[in-house]
Amino acid sequence: PHPSHFSPGDEDFQENHERQKHKGKRRNGERPKNKRENQRRQRSSKSVQGIREESQSTTERRERRRRRRGKEGEDEEEVNNDGEVRPELLSPEELEKLKEAVDEKKKLIQSLRGKPWPMKQKLVSLRESQLFVEKYEGALGKGKGRKLYAYKVMMTKKWKKFQRDFENFKTACIPWEMKIKEIESHFGSSVASYFIFLRWMYGINMILFGLTFGLVMVPEALMGRPYGSIPRKTVPRAEEAGAMDFAVLWDFGGYAQYSVLFYGYYNNQRAIGWFKFRMPLSYFLVGVGTVAYSYMVVIRTMARNANESGVGDDNSFNFSWKMFTSWDYLIGNPETADNKFASITTSFKEAILEEQESRKDDNIHLTRFLRVLANFLVLCCLAGSGYLIYFVVRRSQKFALDGLENHTWWERNEVNMVMSLLGMFCPMLFDVISALENYHPRVALQWQLGRIFALFLGNLYTFIIALMDAINLKRKEEKVVKYNITMWEASLYNGTGPENSTGPPVTIHPADVPRGPCWETMVGQEFVRLIISDTMTTYITLLIGDFLRAVLVRFLNHCWCWDLEAGFPSYSEFDVSGNVLGLIFNQGMIWMGAFYAPCLPALNLLRLHVSMYLQCWAVMCCNVPQERVFKASGSNNFYMAMLLVILFLSTLPAIYTIVTIPPSFDCGPFSGKNRMFDVIQETLESDFPAWFSKVFSYASNPGLVLPFILLMVLAIYYLQSTSKSYREANVELKNKLQMVTQRLDNFVLLTSYGSDFILNA
Amino acid sequence: MTLLIKCMYLPFSFYSRMVSPAIALAFVPLLLTLIIKYRYYFVLFYRAVLVRIWKDCVTGLSREERAFQYVLTNSTPGDPDSILDAFDYWCSKVEFISNIGPKKGKILDRLLLEQSPLTVLELGAHCGYSTVRIARALPLGARLYSIEMDQGNAAIAEKIIRLAGFDDDTVELIVNPSDEVIPRLRSDYNLERLDFVFMDHWKKCYLPDLQLLEEYGLLGKGSMIVADNVLFPGAPKFLRYLRKCGLYEWKIHRAMLEYSRGIRDGMAELIYQGIK
Repeated sequence: PHPSHFSPGDEDFQENHERQKHKGKRRNGERPKNKRENQRRQRSSKSVQGIREESQSTTERRERRRRRRGKEGEDEEEVNNDGEVRPELLSPEELEKLKEAVDEKKKLIQSLRGKPWPMKQKLVSLRESQLFVEKYEGALGKGKGRKLYAYKVMMTKKWKKFQRDFENFKTACIPWEMKIKEIESHFGSSVASYFIFLRWMYGINMILFGLTFGLVMVPEALMGRPYGSIPRKTVPRAEEAGAMDFAVLWDFGGYAQYSVLFYGYYNNQRAIGWFKFRMPLSYFLVGVGTVAYSYMVVIRTMARNANESGVGDDNSFNFSWKMFTSWDYLIGNPETADNKFASITTSFKEAILEEQESRKDDNIHLTRFLRVLANFLVLCCLAGSGYLIYFVVRRSQKFALDGLENHTWWERNEVNMVMSLLGMFCPMLFDVISALENYHPRVALQWQLGRIFALFLGNLYTFIIALMDAINLKRKEEKVVKYNITMWEASLYNGTGPENSTGPPVTIHPADVPRGPCWETMVGQEFVRLIISDTMTTYITLLIGDFLRAVLVRFLNHCWCWDLEAGFPSYSEFDVSGNVLGLIFNQGMIWMGAFYAPCLPALNLLRLHVSMYLQCWAVMCCNVPQERVFKASGSNNFYMAMLLVILFLSTLPAIYTIVTIPPSFDCGPFSGKNRMFDVIQETLESDFPAWFSKVFSYASNPGLVLPFILLMVLAIYYLQSTSKSYREANVELKNKLQMVTQRLDNFVLLTSYGSDFILNA
Repeated sequence: MTLLIKCMYLPFSFYSRMVSPAIALAFVPLLLTLIIKYRYYFVLFYRAVLVRIWKDCVTGLSREERAFQYVLTNSTPGDPDSILDAFDYWCSKVEFISNIGPKKGKILDRLLLEQSPLTVLELGAHCGYSTVRIARALPLGARLYSIEMDQGNAAIAEKIIRLAGFDDDTVELIVNPSDEVIPRLRSDYNLERLDFVFMDHWKKCYLPDLQLLEEYGLLGKGSMIVADNVLFPGAPKFLRYLRKCGLYEWKIHRAMLEYSRGIRDGMAELIYQGIK
């Protein structure tokens, strides 16, 4: 029953009241306290280690208590003399003393955690000192100053509370943190690492989406010419009838094709809108910028992860650390406590398994043979799947030459189907084969990742090669169309008659104008379709392979002849490697296709958002934790390295097409130019002053560029070597520190034995 | 004739129109995965079902009779160990019979030695393997009641038990379904309390029989019940009941299924605690 805050009006009364009460309490409480302390001292004399500190602290405390008692005695006397306590009536020296006591109490509260006392005593003294501080803090200061002081104290309290709330708020603002923590506590850190990676990916895609949406799609939609104004922004007459059909839209044809979603819709007008937005330049820079940003982020994250992993010493005293530091004492929610409990148990399991693994030794020759065999089998499997895709791509080219309308839906979508199916089933086969190798699960995960990586890469590059062939076909077609168009225009003018040429020009509806095939849009469409089919496969696999299976296992178990849950189909495990690689390759496709289809980042964002919720739900509801739970330490950088490789490999074809193939003549922001990057030169010439372009041309002179590159290489070499030496120094220091602590331990042990000996003597 | 050819061709043309061969080939990895992953189950199916049907047709004897013939010719009468060895060899190399097997049998032996029970009930003698195994580990003066439902199996079990040299005082074979016998145990056989119960009959009967034992008060504090095959083929209701009821202190000994590798199975060990 004590006031937690000060209200200036009835403060005096309350204070009086409180003080009276406390005095009584303290008088009664003093004696048992002393007794307890004596007991404690006796007990503590038995323990050898902490004896000196203990005795020191007890003397200290006794001293302090004596002082405090003296002070309180004075206070009490005063109370008795005056009848009522008014801090204003205290003499300056007394006030000074009071202030000192309050400060001391505050110090005690702060340093309490480090004191080597039993928990009970700590709690008692904490409560005591808090009461004391609360009671007298407001009493310090006089008149107006006193109120100000009280106000200040109140404000600092409020500020502290606000800071704490703000911290909580900040943690609450990290998206999906609770979900991920929950998953981590039930499934271990390896599964959680996938979701953290997914969240990180979502952040990057958010930025990519912001760039393309804000700087490309919205300006063109708002300020560019409206739909139907020019041929490239109009659905051609032949497709008009079915342009709004769902089947066509689902294939991203019709109205979807002739919209801001794809490259072909953009106009080559140099500046649009009233504030002269340079559309083609913006398009080009956004394309370059997204890739550059991705490189930057990936490399920076890798560097940060490397730093983090270098600092900690994971190997020594592993179990002691876990034993004594695992519990989080701030948990107040029973559910969270359950989760924390589960997570600690899981982490113990992980650690024990790891320890077991490290102590195992088997027949090394057999293991080696089996590992070679497994790799051979995997290679066979990879070769087989590669050949199958090659075969399918060749067949689809034949179909394309025949005309796609003559073939069934299955045959038209054969490439996508086969790629998705192989991408789904081959990892399962690899997983089964990898059981031969008998690796530690973390190593096995990395091998699995590497294999699936090879598989996906093969699939992707086969797809790109097929796409290149299609581009070449389109370009041949384009040549023919270009010739035809000149003929058509000539005939148009001939038809109207040469004598009439001074009259109004012939108006033709833009839908009727013949146009080229626009290979860029075709590439964009292909990528979008691939992403869609990939997403669909993932979700359907999730629903059938995980959810349906879980439902069947759960509910058929009542009427089945064996135990479905523990035995044969069982519940599925979460496939970390497959999911991570799916995510990485998906991102690779986004990077590749985003230049030709600005809608790709938006689609990807949607996909990631949905899959975050869907997969979180699926994991918690239909998966069981892996049998061998393991820690995912260090694998994060492995993901990042793979992402970097994919980023590099996916920018290659994009850059190749941009640099070597001239853009289509009648669609896209770069139409009419020889190469897409000519837009930079054009801007330099027309938008910047003459001296700037001159400087630029000097700067791009090989005589300047080569020394610059040389300098950069040298700088990299220098940084590399310095970081290496730093690392060595770090290791040495660590060793030294260990040695010193060991010696210190020995010393402490010796002295404690010595004191024990003396005590016994 | 042409019609017939057309009819024969029809499924093929349907197949080629519906799904191209490339897509079908993409399912090969899945097929391989399933075959490799569940190879032990396929082997088990082959040994326990296909070989059995084939041999039944060829020899005209039941599986148990064949096993008995083998044991009779390949073991020393009066020596339980040699009989068990002969059984193990026949079950692992020739055909498959779901006995408790040597590995889980070792656990059972250990539990029996620790407990040294005086009255033992066995549910499901089948062809006497586990009966011999239990009887071998019993202390002097202990009595084993073995219940078998099937007449033919019981006859073979009887022969095996006698072959191993256990007389009527040690082992008593009761030929009746377990749910009929348990209620009459107290009245017909003068049983007050069972020290040890071994269950290896129909997995669906584990739970009702356990409840019957509780109901007729045959379990005392400290009575041990061991149930085989609780994970494969599995007795999920039984395990769920154990988790829920709180009458037992229990654990599962994890092991592989008898006479095969790679199929997980477990043996549940229960100690009756009574109502607290």
